[in-house]
Amino acid sequence: MAQAARSILSLQAATLGERQLSTTTTRIDLELPRGGATLVQVDDEIDAVALVDLCIGLAMPTDGHVRFLGVDWQARGARERLMRRRRIGTVVQTHVWPAHMSILDAVLVARLYHSDRPRDEVIAEATALARLFGLPGLPVGRRETTPHRALVRAACVRGFLGAPDLIVVQDQALEATADLAVPMAQAIAEALDRGATVLWIVESLAAEAARFVAADQVFRLGDHGLVQVRRR
Amino acid sequence: MASTASSFDRGRFRRALGGLGAGVRQGTGNLLLFVSLSATVLVVASRRSTWRGPVWAEFMRMLNAVAVRSLSTTVATGLLIGIALVSQAVYWLAATGQTGLVGQVIVILLIRELAPILVGLLIFGRNGTATLIELGEAHTGGWLRQFEIQGLDPMILLVVPRALAFALGAFCMATVLLLSTLLTGYLIAHGLGLIAYSIWDFSDMVQRAMTVRDFIVPPLKCIFIGFFVALVCCATGLGRRDEGDELQRIVPRGFVRSALAILVINGVFDLVG
Repeated sequence: MAQAARSILSLQAATLGERQLSTTTTRIDLELPRGGATLVQVDDEIDAVALVDLCIGLAMPTDGHVRFLGVDWQARGARERLMRRRRIGTVVQTHVWPAHMSILDAVLVARLYHSDRPRDEVIAEATALARLFGLPGLPVGRRETTPHRALVRAACVRGFLGAPDLIVVQDQALEATADLAVPMAQAIAEALDRGATVLWIVESLAAEAARFVAADQVFRLGDHGLVQVRRR
Repeated sequence: MASTASSFDRGRFRRALGGLGAGVRQGTGNLLLFVSLSATVLVVASRRSTWRGPVWAEFMRMLNAVAVRSLSTTVATGLLIGIALVSQAVYWLAATGQTGLVGQVIVILLIRELAPILVGLLIFGRNGTATLIELGEAHTGGWLRQFEIQGLDPMILLVVPRALAFALGAFCMATVLLLSTLLTGYLIAHGLGLIAYSIWDFSDMVQRAMTVRDFIVPPLKCIFIGFFVALVCCATGLGRRDEGDELQRIVPRGFVRSALAILVINGVFDLVG
């Protein structure tokens, strides 16, 4: 219980909805302590997305509890859940960008919406992150005119921007991008140094991009929940 | 035999009654949903905390699209209406020797009735369709989920700025439309020698025909029409939840709903006013 209280994110007997590759009900117990990185291998992408939704309060478990910063997502209304998500950075759906915004605006929008920081300051932070991820600066065009490589990196910038307490990473496109391994590991290390928690859900623990991440915990999602594994 | 026919008729009658009831219930449900959406937008818009940087930016972007980028279309429409309407009114009134009524005819026809409806149709054509297409792929394109993941409220970030920008933009469009219509009408009628008085006398004639009500009701009508066209387009666009519902189909659906909203609002104002 004391450990749960210290956790940034805590899943206690949380039941994942219907799974693609399993007929049994999967109960998940997971504690993500502050300043720790956790890798979870989930074979099926739909299950991975469902786990992300569970962690960030977008979907509720049929049983059990998911607590973020000590507060059960279920105990909060929709509006408050939205507000609490301002403290979560996500690198998910790297190909998804709104049609009516430039990539620059789409990267900045959440941070400008949730804080009173001046736009120039947020742009400066985002530009520094963009350079870390190997971009010359933030892409200013629309999604149609921006190369896929830049979109993936811009999604990384969006996830790490604004010093979130929890960073959730899940996208198979990331795993296939080997040249993201070093910048990703560096961004994660910097986030951990300032006390953030990182959860990276991967399809394969051997993924190039996750190679240099120094994870405190490594799990695999099996039929009966999370199983601790050792990385090779 | 007679009993079979009677039970058949009763069955058909029941089915027809059931269909009618289902239609009425669905219609009432949709209407209530729409009323609650309108109320929610007004309540959310009145909160100071709503107006954060990105919401202001979206409002300004939409207002620019409605009021500034539509300027040429509005002026061109005003020119065409001016040629057709004002010059015809002036011509026929001159032919019947009733040129003193020109102000009243223009006020009743143009300012009270035609301008709000035209503004509603223009705003739908130029900006409503764009909203339908933009928001129509919010669910299917996955970026609505992306907004929710980032803690962004779609109501605040997408619906509120559009509704208010359309409302304010409709008022601006109506002003430009009226000015360009009246000016064109006057110039055409004067050029054809149908009227001999100056533009100031023409303006004075129109203003004398206007009552205090005409300075309040038509602008309010335009504002309401803009507001509801935006809500209809946002609700129709965001209501598209799967790829099976083709994007091409939501534009005509949005048009029918918007046209209905424009006519209903126009009618309600006419009845109340």
